Amino acid sequence: MIYPIEVNDLYYKYEGNLREILNGVNLKVVEGEAVAIVGLSGCGKSTLLYNICGIIPHIYKGEARGQVKIWGKNILDMKLPEIATKVGIVFQDPDTQLFSPTVENEIAFGPENLCVAREEIGLRIERVLKIVNMEKYRLENPNSLSGGQKQLIAIASVLAMETEILLFDEILSQIDHEGKIKIREVIKELKGEGKTIVLIEHDLDNLQIADRVLQLKDGKLEEFKDGETVGLNRA
Amino acid sequence: MNVDPRTKLVIVLCLSTLAIFIKDVLFLNGVLLITIIISLIFKTNMLQILRKIKRLLYVLLAIAVIQSVFSAGGRTLIEVGELVILTTVGLQKGLEFVIRIMIIILSATIITTSNSREIVQGLVQWKLPYEIAFMVSIGIRFLPILIEEIKDSVIAIQLRGIEIEKIPLRERFRVYSYLFTPVFVSTIIRAQKLSMSIEMRGFRAYETRTSYTVLEMSYTDYLVIFSSLLCTSALMYLYVS
Ligand SMILES: Nc1ncnc2c1ncn2[C@@H]1O[C@H](COP(=O)(O)OP(=O)(O)OP(=O)(O)O)[C@@H](O)[C@H]1O
Ligand SMILES: [Mg+2]
Repeated sequence: MIYPIEVNDLYYKYEGNLREILNGVNLKVVEGEAVAIVGLSGCGKSTLLYNICGIIPHIYKGEARGQVKIWGKNILDMKLPEIATKVGIVFQDPDTQLFSPTVENEIAFGPENLCVAREEIGLRIERVLKIVNMEKYRLENPNSLSGGQKQLIAIASVLAMETEILLFDEILSQIDHEGKIKIREVIKELKGEGKTIVLIEHDLDNLQIADRVLQLKDGKLEEFKDGETVGLNRA
Repeated sequence: MNVDPRTKLVIVLCLSTLAIFIKDVLFLNGVLLITIIISLIFKTNMLQILRKIKRLLYVLLAIAVIQSVFSAGGRTLIEVGELVILTTVGLQKGLEFVIRIMIIILSATIITTSNSREIVQGLVQWKLPYEIAFMVSIGIRFLPILIEEIKDSVIAIQLRGIEIEKIPLRERFRVYSYLFTPVFVSTIIRAQKLSMSIEMRGFRAYETRTSYTVLEMSYTDYLVIFSSLLCTSALMYLYVS
C-alpha cells in the first residue's frame, strides 16, 4: 500500500547538538486521515514535521537516518518546491512566514508558483479569506497584523495552494475562541474532502478533530494515553 | 495617483540622470524644484525623508571646506590667518553635491509609492527574471527590520549604562562585536525561516509561474513617460548648449 506519509525508523540530530531529537520514529498516515501529535515543549514535534516536508535535510543539515516517503517517493529524491506541490505546511511562528506587501499578494504567492490560472487564483483568494474571516484585510500589509491574524493569513496562504497533504504546527495557539472553532470546522471539512492532515496540538479541545492521537516521547511516537504527562491544556 | 511602477521608474531614471550630468547650480536647483513638485503629486512622505537626510548638512560643510582649502578661486568668505577656510567656489561645490543627492533620494522615493509586488511585476514585464526581482524585493523589504534590530541592540547596551561614545576605540570594537553577534545570528535564523516558508510555498516549482498581479500601462502612463523623456532631453540640450 502506498501512503501519503510514511516515516520509517527515523533518527535525527541537529548539527552541533549532542542528543538525537528523533530516536526511531515510525509513522504511517493513510489518505484522508487526520493525525494529531502531542508532546512536551522541545520534544521535537516541529522537528518531525520538518522531516516530513523535507526542510530536513534540504535546508537544515545535521545527521538523519531512516526514511521519509511522500506518496511512496523518498523526500531525498525530491527538491523542496516539488514537495511543496504535494505538501503544505503552516509553521508555528507567525512572524517569519509572511513576506509579501499585501495579504492578497501573500495568498497569491503559492498558487502563482504552482501555475494556477489568474482567475482561479482570484477565486481562491476570496474563498480562503472567507474561511479565516479576514476579507476586510485583503489589501493590508501582513506586517501590521497581530500575531493571531498573521497566523490566519499563513493558514489561508497554505490552504490556497490546495495541496493533498497538510501539516499544521500548533496553528491555533494564538487564535481567539471563535477563530479556533471556525478553523476546526475547516480542518474537518478538509478531511472530508480527502486531504491528509498531520497537526501538532497543545489543546485537548482541538484533538477531537483528529482520527488518531500520537504522543512524541523520548524521540519516539507512541499511542497517546494520558493528557497530564504531555502538558496539555484543558480549556 | 495611480501610475504604473514602470512609469515611476522612468521618471526616477530621468531625474537621476539630470542630477548626475548637470553641473550648474542654477540648473540643479531647477531640477530639484521639479523633483519636489513630482514628489508632491505622488504624495511621497517628503518631510520624513528630509528629516532623515538632514545629516547631509554636515557633508555640505565638509565638502565646502575641503574644496575651499584645496582648490583656488572664488571670493574668500572665511579665513584664519593665512589659511582660507571657506570660499564661494567651495560653498558652491558643497551645495551642488547636496542638491544632487537630494534629487536622487527624493526621486527614488517616488518608486516606494508602489508596493514591492507591483515593482517586481513591473520589472518582470520588462523581462527581468522573476527570481532576481523577487530576491531583490525581499532584500529591500527586510533591510529596515535589520536596521531596527541593530538599533534595538544599541539601545539595549545603552540601557546597561554603557556610553559607547565615551569608550576608547579599541574597547569600542569589542562592544560592537558583542552587539553584532546576536544580530548576526538572529538574521541568519530569520533568513533560514524565511527561505523555508518561501520554498514550501513552491517557489521555483516549475520553469514558469502565473501572476495574479498584472500591470497594464494606460494612456496616461505612455503620456507621462513620453513627456519625461522629452523634458529630460530638452533640459540636457539646453544645459549643453
Ligand atoms: N535549528 C536548530 N539547531 C539546533 N537545535 C535545534 C534547532 N531547532 C530546534 N532545536 C532543538 O531541538 C529540540 C526540539 O525542538 P522542536 O522545535 O522540534 O520542539 P517542539 O516539540 O516543536 O517544541 P515546542 O512545543 O516548544 O514547539 C529543542 O531542544 C531545540 O532546542
Ligand atoms: Mg514546535
